[in-house]
Amino acid sequence: MNTTEKYLVGVYDDEDEVLHAVTEVKGKGVKIEEVYTPFPIHGLDTAIGHPRTRIPIAAFLFGLTGLTCAQFLINYTMVFDWPMIIGGKDFFALPDWIPVTFEGTVLFTAFGMVFTFFVSNSLWPGKTPKTFDLRSTDDKFIMTINMGTNKKSEAEIEEILKASGAIEVNVKQF
Amino acid sequence: MSHVVSPIRETLVGGGRSYHDVTQDICKQVEGEPTKEWKIAFSVSCVIFAYGAYCLGYTWWQGIGVWGLNKTVGWAWDITNFVWWVGIGHAGTLISAVLLLFRQKWRTSINRAAEAMTIFAVLCAASFILAHMGRPWLAHWALPLPNTFGSIWVNFNSPLVWDVFAISTYLSVSLVFWYLGLIPDLATIRDRAQTKASKFWYGLFSVGWTGSAKTWARYEYVSLILAGISTPLVLSVHTIVSMDFATSVIPGWHTTIFPPYFVAGAIFSGFAMVQTLLLITRVAFKLEDYITMEHIEMMNIIITVTGSIVGIAYLTEFFIAWYSGVEYESYCFINRAFGPYWWAYWMMMTCNVISPQLFWFKSIRTNILISFILSVVVNVGMWFERFVIIVSSLHRDYIPSSWAMFSPTMYDIGDYIFSFGLFFTLFFLFAKFLPVINMAEVKAVMKGVSSNYPYKKKSEGGKESVTH
Amino acid sequence: MAGHSHFSPANVEEFYEFTPEARKRVITAMIIGAVLLGIGVFFLGSGEHEAAHAVAGHAAEHGGEHLSGGAVSHHETSWNPLNRLWVNLWMNGVFFSGIAVIGMFFVAVQYLAKAGWSSVVKRIPEAFPKFLYFTFPVLLLLFVFKGDVIFHWMHHGITDPASEHYDKIIAGKKGYLNFTFFLVRLVAIFTVWIVLWNMMRKKSIEEDLNGGTQNFFDMVRIGTGFVVAMGISSSLSAWDWVMSIDTHWFSTMFGWYMFSSWHVTGLATITLTVLFLKDKGYMQYVSDSHLHDLGKFMFAFSIFWTYVWFAQFLLIYYANMPEETIYFLERWEGHNKVYKAVEILNVFMNFFFPFLIMMTRDAKRTPIFLKICCFFVIVGHYLDFYQMIMPGTVGPHGGFGLVEFGSVILFASAFVYVVSTELTKASLVAKNHPFLEESLHHDI
Repeated sequence: MNTTEKYLVGVYDDEDEVLHAVTEVKGKGVKIEEVYTPFPIHGLDTAIGHPRTRIPIAAFLFGLTGLTCAQFLINYTMVFDWPMIIGGKDFFALPDWIPVTFEGTVLFTAFGMVFTFFVSNSLWPGKTPKTFDLRSTDDKFIMTINMGTNKKSEAEIEEILKASGAIEVNVKQF
Repeated sequence: MSHVVSPIRETLVGGGRSYHDVTQDICKQVEGEPTKEWKIAFSVSCVIFAYGAYCLGYTWWQGIGVWGLNKTVGWAWDITNFVWWVGIGHAGTLISAVLLLFRQKWRTSINRAAEAMTIFAVLCAASFILAHMGRPWLAHWALPLPNTFGSIWVNFNSPLVWDVFAISTYLSVSLVFWYLGLIPDLATIRDRAQTKASKFWYGLFSVGWTGSAKTWARYEYVSLILAGISTPLVLSVHTIVSMDFATSVIPGWHTTIFPPYFVAGAIFSGFAMVQTLLLITRVAFKLEDYITMEHIEMMNIIITVTGSIVGIAYLTEFFIAWYSGVEYESYCFINRAFGPYWWAYWMMMTCNVISPQLFWFKSIRTNILISFILSVVVNVGMWFERFVIIVSSLHRDYIPSSWAMFSPTMYDIGDYIFSFGLFFTLFFLFAKFLPVINMAEVKAVMKGVSSNYPYKKKSEGGKESVTH
Repeated sequence: MAGHSHFSPANVEEFYEFTPEARKRVITAMIIGAVLLGIGVFFLGSGEHEAAHAVAGHAAEHGGEHLSGGAVSHHETSWNPLNRLWVNLWMNGVFFSGIAVIGMFFVAVQYLAKAGWSSVVKRIPEAFPKFLYFTFPVLLLLFVFKGDVIFHWMHHGITDPASEHYDKIIAGKKGYLNFTFFLVRLVAIFTVWIVLWNMMRKKSIEEDLNGGTQNFFDMVRIGTGFVVAMGISSSLSAWDWVMSIDTHWFSTMFGWYMFSSWHVTGLATITLTVLFLKDKGYMQYVSDSHLHDLGKFMFAFSIFWTYVWFAQFLLIYYANMPEETIYFLERWEGHNKVYKAVEILNVFMNFFFPFLIMMTRDAKRTPIFLKICCFFVIVGHYLDFYQMIMPGTVGPHGGFGLVEFGSVILFASAFVYVVSTELTKASLVAKNHPFLEESLHHDI
């Protein structure tokens, strides 16, 4: 690509500070692209303004699929394809099928949801991450400002970041 | 999660650690050369593994006739091992799932190792399923596969088929859960990597993780839902294992309390195994500031609670056997306690019900050596529990002329040794190449529970402003 | 995290006022219950007498006789319509004792687990066990004077080889099921519950007055003791008060099954009480996050109840042994199918409804959904106890009439009255609870 993206990177060293800084920086009209942290911070995504994830809905639908598939398979094999009397029970021995149906539901939910998670975050084995600061997986909390989407000048934004508690402000280009 | 933490809570991360120190302490093991102790331990487990593999190979080659089974006792030592390992394989997911749902912060230091242990234990259990098949190369026929022999399907009404689904679902979902938890830590190691090889391998498996707020938010949801579905999954696995026995009509096996009682026993033995391994890891890797006395005490309390639940189940079974008025049922239990296998029964009672009661004393549950010994004792007891349930219910059937005793052959024992070799080899590999403590989770709860972050007081308005 | 600043230590105490108006309403409900019960009993005594006989005869023709296995088959000729009253009182007594004692169990578990989040609501369940003072004499008197109506094993001559009513299997259980031993257990169970609760309550109120952490650690100890006591007494009470009704039948799971039913009902009652007080303007510090956790508890333990119910059912269904399957057959197709609908409702109301209603995060934080779920869980588990107790006692004479409605209204309003009175005796928030600060900042 020939276009370079220019970022201002604010480095914070405390989770409460970065959470507070997000509100403060946003309040001053600066658009924050993302915050990178070594561990999850409760409420950070809503503070930045990310929409709530719909992964639970996906999980529910995968679960429903699993349930349906398991019931379909068991009914097909045990009732339609080759019915046999087992233990004197009906061909349609629903109580006996609850365990496998449950396992199928869980299996589909887990795999479907985790797969969705990987796809929606575009994570895949061997992907080279876009790293703003290597310390963001260690002990620093990194706020990134995309200069292309902000009207304020670099100096202004740097001032705002410093005022909000950033211990360093760096420039990063991709 | 709020950082407001009551002052009466114990410290969970000691030694005044900072976030960077956590990274440093945990990654040290992964990045450094293996220590001499590790090399010795690993070599020993490889030797055990090799001997066990020979025994298992011989079992496969000759068939399961090499076991000590006889006409009455058609299931004994090896199914005991299977149930024992599956039981142990319950604690990891339980710690990460149930304790996550209950927001028990102390779980963060131990869940990684516990989950790894779970996966290895379930693999060991699976090896016994394969061994029981006699012809393990045909194992895929346990799955409902279309075939050319006509419409032959597995029998979905059979608890053994439920077991196939339960164990394979549990193994794969636990693996996913564990791997998902590893990703952020693998990214930490990737970002610190010095050598080309570790850059490549940790880069490959950390899937381009950056720790953006959006990813973390989704990640937390995924973890919670996985925890939510893993909790009934854990219960279902040992429930179904118990149904391998309880759906039958054999006195001593057919009892309705089996499902929750097996689950309680599984948690019990699993926590004991986690305790055993953590106490070793704690010393070997000098993790005293992460696996603190509070952790050890909490584990011991859970061991006592679950041990007592198991004890109540033993008494319930015994009482109802009498109350039912069914003479076969009553005889089965009297035979267990006072028949030829009395020693196994009282071994089980002593190890599982009586010995954990010692943890009522604070001085005992905070004594590391005794905790270690008792954690091993518990698993000895749990092995005997399964042995008692299985062998003592079978060895005297309805026809006295076919009454028999069971004696194991060297292949029964050798196959058991195999599982230990497999387990410890995998565990040592894990301890060397992967972070044994979940760094991200520990860091996330450090404020308030660490001696270095005793809930910082901020003076600026709008920030956290609660004082103690 | 922020946003709880309105709750400063200055306004930390909050007392519930059981207004004369509210008192009047509850008493009115009690009177309505009593009147319905009275009318119901009157009709039982006159009109239904013959009808019941017709039904019984019909059931007997279709195998109802040997399916019942309980008291009725032996008493077919001497059926007294008033029995339905005594059985209803027994059932409600057992059901509401459970709700009351689960209040204590909940608090004890919170202390044992050192749970922080729940400390803002803990005064609610803490008030519940007061109702044991009411149910204890009810159960005691019923057992002493009307025990033979409820329990098959108490029938005259049933353990006497010389008697025509002699039953060998029941005679074999005589060592456990006899008047004196049962009475000792009944008294012992209630005494232990009440004494431990009083100790806990006293410490809890002392904590409000004196502060410090000593009371907290004492309560952890009492709570631990109670959990141990409950581990044994829950199974004993289930065997004695409910399982021994179907005297021939046995299931090792039964103790835990009944306990799980009690437990989830107790959780629903706690949640409902908190929501009610919030609606009345009390406990505004109980946030969405606390409700979320209560909702999760209800959701999880509804599933747990289902698990226990299903495991018990599946094993009995699968093994297909007559002495066990009779329990379900009797309920499913015995007694002219009076209990079939309840059996179906049992699973629907106690599993599908709470499972589907409480599945999403938003539902667990929305009072109206929580209330609907609490309603289903409480009514559903009432039906669960109904189907545990009725078939073995009143058999084909069972049903849903004024006696049932009257007695449950009477018990429920008495419960509300006693618990409301108890709630006024201490602040709704335990102001010196060491985890209160954590709980007030609880945010998930």
